[in-house]
Amino acid sequence: MHRMLARQIRQSTDESGKVDLTRLSELVSAAYEESDCDRRRTDRAIKLMIEELEQTHQRAERDLRRAREFLDSIIENVPIAVFAKDARDSRYILLNRAGEEYYGVPREEMLGKTPDEIFPDSIARVVNEQDRRVVDSGTPMFLEGHRLEVGVHGRERLVNSRKLLVRDSAGAPQYLVGVIEDVTERITNEARISHLAHHDALTDLPNRSAFNAALDERLERAQEASTSFAVLSLDLDRFKEVNDVFGHPVGDMLMRAAADRLAAEADGAFVARIGGDEFMILMPDEVRREDVLALAERLVETIGKELEVDDYLPHVGLSVGIAFYPDDGVNAVTLLANADSALYRAKREGRGRVRVFESEMDQELRDRRLLQHDLRQALEQNQFLVYFQPQARVDGEVIGFEALLRWNHPTRGFVPPDQFIPLAEENGLIIEIGEWVLREACREAASWPRPLQVAVNLSPVQFQAGDLERSIHQILLETGLTPTRLEVEITEGVLIGDFTRALNLLRRLKALGVRIAMDDFGTGYSSLSYLQSFPFDKIKIDRGFISNLEATPQSAEIVRAVLSLAHALNIPVIAEGVETEAQRAFLAREACEEIQGYLIGRPDLIERYLDLVGVTVERRLYA
Amino acid sequence: MQIQYLHWNAAHGWRGADALREPPQLVLYFGSREQLADGERYRELHALYPDGHIVGCSTGGQIHGDDICDDEVVAVALHFAHTQVRLVQEVIESRDASRACGARLASQVLAADLAGLFVLSDGLAVNGGELLAGITEVLGPDLPVTGGLAGDGTRFEQTIVGADAEPSPNRVAAIAFYGASFRFAHGCAGGWDVFGPRRKVTKAEGSVVVELDGEPPLDLYTRYLGEEEAEAMPGSGLAFPLRIHDEAEPNRQIVRSVFAVDRNARTLTFAADIPEGCTAQLMRANFDSLAAGAGEAGKQARSALADGVAGDKLAILVSCTGRRRVMGQRTQDELDAVAAELGEDVVRIGFYSYGEIAPPAASGRCELHNQTMTVTVIAEAAA
Repeated sequence: MHRMLARQIRQSTDESGKVDLTRLSELVSAAYEESDCDRRRTDRAIKLMIEELEQTHQRAERDLRRAREFLDSIIENVPIAVFAKDARDSRYILLNRAGEEYYGVPREEMLGKTPDEIFPDSIARVVNEQDRRVVDSGTPMFLEGHRLEVGVHGRERLVNSRKLLVRDSAGAPQYLVGVIEDVTERITNEARISHLAHHDALTDLPNRSAFNAALDERLERAQEASTSFAVLSLDLDRFKEVNDVFGHPVGDMLMRAAADRLAAEADGAFVARIGGDEFMILMPDEVRREDVLALAERLVETIGKELEVDDYLPHVGLSVGIAFYPDDGVNAVTLLANADSALYRAKREGRGRVRVFESEMDQELRDRRLLQHDLRQALEQNQFLVYFQPQARVDGEVIGFEALLRWNHPTRGFVPPDQFIPLAEENGLIIEIGEWVLREACREAASWPRPLQVAVNLSPVQFQAGDLERSIHQILLETGLTPTRLEVEITEGVLIGDFTRALNLLRRLKALGVRIAMDDFGTGYSSLSYLQSFPFDKIKIDRGFISNLEATPQSAEIVRAVLSLAHALNIPVIAEGVETEAQRAFLAREACEEIQGYLIGRPDLIERYLDLVGVTVERRLYA
Repeated sequence: MQIQYLHWNAAHGWRGADALREPPQLVLYFGSREQLADGERYRELHALYPDGHIVGCSTGGQIHGDDICDDEVVAVALHFAHTQVRLVQEVIESRDASRACGARLASQVLAADLAGLFVLSDGLAVNGGELLAGITEVLGPDLPVTGGLAGDGTRFEQTIVGADAEPSPNRVAAIAFYGASFRFAHGCAGGWDVFGPRRKVTKAEGSVVVELDGEPPLDLYTRYLGEEEAEAMPGSGLAFPLRIHDEAEPNRQIVRSVFAVDRNARTLTFAADIPEGCTAQLMRANFDSLAAGAGEAGKQARSALADGVAGDKLAILVSCTGRRRVMGQRTQDELDAVAAELGEDVVRIGFYSYGEIAPPAASGRCELHNQTMTVTVIAEAAA
């Protein structure tokens, strides 16, 4: 009997032993009910559990599939070739799209195959060796910037490739994973950027920073090995003028041609372009002094030869300064400064020359810097003076004065204008100084009882910068000088460069009533087209022709030609540097209108010429 | 120790064995809420044993000997030869105050020779886990604490506890036993099987589970119970307790059963806190496993009881209402299993509860359980 039924019977039996059948039926029925209920609950639970487990399983599978698809898509689309191989036999088991492209082989032809079945023997051997090494050592392989040895793109491409070993959970070699990254563009770009950083774009010669690096390296080596070498500082003469006259395209072509010639001639040396028209050459070690000099001479010669550029025949020269290590400096700064000093000397001595550094040059350069420094204070400290030199008709009657700037330096005394004016032009001080001269000259002239002319020189820099027209106008108003008594002397330099702007400015000045004279005629290019473009009021023949009148017959011819040309154009001519009666007589004979020079009077303070301007001494004293 | 066993029914009133030779210090009684609520049983017992502490609670069924009954109140009167007995009690103001309440109770009984604590608590107004946490906070993890939460059949409406007074709700009583002679052995086991997928408690607030795998937990239970049985929630929910996996203590067996339901929010309240983010799995009954589990509890208690006991031995069986509901008439099987393990010489009394208190065999730390059979054996050693 079932234990429960026995229990039910016991529970239905009273103390007298009588079984209450109704009670028993109730118990039995309730037991069936409970059993049914439990079975239903169990069945339901099992069914639901199966459903739930099924759903969970599907969800897990879906998540797994998504995760896999995600990873597959990343690997497939990563722009780096990715492959995986069986670590045991190097059989390919994965290759992404970039991998197919690199190898130039569809993956169906690679997957499941060993390198021997895919690649030529020589390559398969290398691949297998690499694979074995990575598997045996467990150390990753990394090859940088090597050529891809297989595939359609093959040998044109540079790649970084890596291989590393993946172990299974037990630590045994399982996969070889590899990535191949195409770095061709990157390497090319890096090389290009590096080249640009160290080379001059116009000539493709090394630039200043490359030169400095090379020099530093050389110095270091030379200090260790006690060798010697030379540094050449080069400057193209008159290159700026070529640029101005022929324009930058021609200038650029000329620069390239010059650079080519320098590099060809100085073959074996380090030739760098370090700025505008400046070059540096670092000679090889232990080249004898005379050979360095000989090379420098050859460089001057080769640049001096005519360069035909685009149907033009611009003519430039070359100046060279040389400094030797260790004699002229043991560090870069000194060595370069001394080569520059030598170059400066070469240029000052007339260009087209080679100079080797000598210790006094150093002094000279420093001196120049000092002078430039003093120049800044000269104006405020009233160190400038205006001298006046009379200008006369050829018969000797004084008709005016040229105002000339002088600098009375507190310690040096009078500094020659050809030393300080270029310095003032370099740092722009000339604008301020020029205005001062103009104002002084006009004020002085305005005070003269006789209405004589006053001529003032204008620097090209004054034309390029500042408001010259306004400043002249202002000065005329201030001083009350009649504009027609003022004459400005300009050189060709004013017109070179921005020709149109200069011409407009001249026209406006002329409209004010100011007279315009062409100075230093006969030197430089003396382009006749300038005479055609602008109605100059006067032409001044350069002193060089006058002083040579007696010595060279050509000078006389040139003077004659200029005079006849000017007369034909109806432009009066003044000759400067007239010192002798013979010169004056020649000029008179040739119908030169005016003269200036020691014969008439030296440049001096106006006090010396008071009688000429119509001032009696007494009057001046009380004025 | 001497035991006098008594039982009461409406027809015959109190009946029982011969009176004790010496007055008992402690009387324990268990009955349904209806039988106890009017205080008449307490007054009757007090009249019988004016010098003893009289402690009892409402249940989900009484256990006496091999039988379960709903229509009889069961009681034991105990006389200890050497053991000191002390009764303390607290009224709990709110569920949130459970831990503080436990701590207060424990503070009152704390003494060097405290040998064991048996707790009877309100089964609905108290967070049993917190109550025990408060007690062990004061007494330390090594002092054995057993007992149970009062029941209310499968109605989950009101539970009552009486301690030297008429039983009333919101009450927690603790009986402290002192002295070296006192023997306190216990066992605890479940026997439920986990089934179905592991689920995540995606949202929980204290003991209220708001979402399981993003779904209201009532929906899950309704699916598993069927619409008809789900009507009987929370009682019917006892068929599917939750096994909680604690990541920090993977071996800890935590089983929680439903004891309240919010049909609007579709949430379920469990007997103790369920941490958000933990993993939960449904459990189901297999009658043989449950019976075997109960046997295991009996075996643990018996083997923990040292030799050299003098006098009678009492086993207090506290089993879960959920077990009785699931097993129906087969519930008897679990009582048979316990009896077989304890042996004929142990008097058995007990009740079906809303929560069992005992240190599980694995951790030894006193805890609140659901869906277990716990067996507490008390006795005295020979002088």
